[in-house]
Amino acid sequence: MTLSKNGEIGLAVLLVVLFLIPSMMLGLLYGESPYHVVPGEPVKEAADAAGISVVSVKGTLWNLTGALGGKTYVLTDPEGDTATIAAQAFDSADSRDAAVRLYNTNAPGKGRQIGSLIVVGQYLIYATPANSPIFAKLAPALQQAAKAQS
Amino acid sequence: MSEDAAGKTSGIPSKKVLGLFALAMINVAAVLSIRNFPSMAIYGWSCVGWYVIGAILFLIPISLAGAELATGWPEGGGVYAWVKQAFGEKGGFTALFCEWSNNLVWFPTVLSFIASTLAFALTPSLAANPWYMFSVMMIAFWGTTAIAYFGEEISAKFSNIGVIIGSIIPAVLIILLGLWWLGSGQTLVLPPISLGAMVPTINLSTLPFFSTIVLLFAGMEMAGFHALETRDPQKDFPRAMALSAFIIIICTVLATLAIAVVIPADQLNLASGVMQAIQYFFNAAGIAWLVGPMALLITLGGVVNLASWLIGPAKGLGIVAEEGNMPPLFDRTNKYGAPVAVLLIQALIGSAISLLYVFLPSVNQAYWILSAMTVELLCIVYILVFAALIKLRYSQPDTPRPFTIPGGIAGVWIVGGLGLFGTALAFVVGLMPPAYFSSGITYVLSVLLGTFLLAVPPLVFLKFKHPGWLKKSPGGEKS
Repeated sequence: MTLSKNGEIGLAVLLVVLFLIPSMMLGLLYGESPYHVVPGEPVKEAADAAGISVVSVKGTLWNLTGALGGKTYVLTDPEGDTATIAAQAFDSADSRDAAVRLYNTNAPGKGRQIGSLIVVGQYLIYATPANSPIFAKLAPALQQAAKAQS
Repeated sequence: MSEDAAGKTSGIPSKKVLGLFALAMINVAAVLSIRNFPSMAIYGWSCVGWYVIGAILFLIPISLAGAELATGWPEGGGVYAWVKQAFGEKGGFTALFCEWSNNLVWFPTVLSFIASTLAFALTPSLAANPWYMFSVMMIAFWGTTAIAYFGEEISAKFSNIGVIIGSIIPAVLIILLGLWWLGSGQTLVLPPISLGAMVPTINLSTLPFFSTIVLLFAGMEMAGFHALETRDPQKDFPRAMALSAFIIIICTVLATLAIAVVIPADQLNLASGVMQAIQYFFNAAGIAWLVGPMALLITLGGVVNLASWLIGPAKGLGIVAEEGNMPPLFDRTNKYGAPVAVLLIQALIGSAISLLYVFLPSVNQAYWILSAMTVELLCIVYILVFAALIKLRYSQPDTPRPFTIPGGIAGVWIVGGLGLFGTALAFVVGLMPPAYFSSGITYVLSVLLGTFLLAVPPLVFLKFKHPGWLKKSPGGEKS
């Protein structure tokens, strides 16, 4: 099979497009998280709804531009699993999104990020370990809270 | 591809400018990153256990495999040349392309690191400005591409100086501060050291981290891409592998522990980017004035890290094109021997993905999937390299290898087997979705589909390959 000069250029364009397809498709599939004010304490409310106990709560202010403060929860479920989940509010979409970028930047080497992060309105909610069963139980309620207000 | 005594290939003039130190620094630049330390310090003493796992299942095997393969087949193209010997052009091209394509998805991460670290030296709030972020990312990306344009000599000098100033010196500084902290009787935030404390917790929750730890040392094969410019590859490659592995492991483990003993674990979370951790560290040590200069050094370290990944695989792809496996469009080299067409296409694609990354950052789930694709593509590269190491001992047992893995065929099976096990397991756990993904199937299919799309172009190119793609030598002969 042979290619004309135009065919070769077409192959190069196809290569560029191939790289952009996954990024663009994923962007469309998952959508952006709009910035809006979610009232109350979404983590505590989700934990209560899922029957997960709060072992301790501590106020935290992250050393990031636009961080307004939040709480770090240590949670435990009836199976005895524990997880640390931190919620931090941000004063704008830009500062919140900068924190999301920082999170992605912190991934060691060429591996995946440590912990899990979801965006709920003005909050970033960060859980360790990434695959904690507790966070798996909370995540649907948190994502619902994010959608309900948007 | 033919190579004459002067190291000239048919199309790319190759000056023999690299020695032992330069080769070692290429690997150190690709692997050693201050970016990793705070993230790993979260694990306290158990980070030692995680590093041991990473060393046994990846760092040591890839260093030994790289040393044997690079001395046995000291040709341009690195992983391409090695895997091609074992599995033919399809295998070699696929391995190289996966190494190149995973970079394009990963570049925004390191570019964002460069921009946000530089912002810390200027005005930290700049990191929240997407236009600042994108501008600096593009300057770093295209600037590094420009350095690559001027060929191996300039790139090597930049890499040698940059990695010392931007990665090794900051790491040593962190280690010295940790030692000072210990020596001056300050409070240690870690419990007393014990063997039990160093054993990592491995369960379903922490298993996805396994893929990260295995690939923490990815890049040890980077020097192999520069074989044509190496003065004495048979002698220098093994020693460069050993030297770089030693520098990387010492700096990584000690600097991580230095951070872990000083900064409480609850400060080492999302809130602690590298610079936030450094700021905490330096404030505690009473040298807050050094935070800004340190940010500049670490920014340079980020650029050097970017440069090593940007240049190596692109050079490899240039050689694949020169061998007639890609259309002549990809086979453009300049007078410095740099593969300009590949560099340009790489820069265009990387810029477009960076644009999405900066302006759609809260699409976090999407980015997680892209990260997972990076992991899967890299695993494909290393699975092929370890498999090639084993196969070549059977298919080409008599090829002279100035460095051979000790222990004969059993030694090769142990080294290759450990590497294969580590990277295959990393591939599998790389498919595990994080807890918040509502549909695990969608996640797995997305990652596999994306990985397939970014791994399949070599098969398309080889399908259309024809003799007209071979570069003509000055005398008019097909090389």
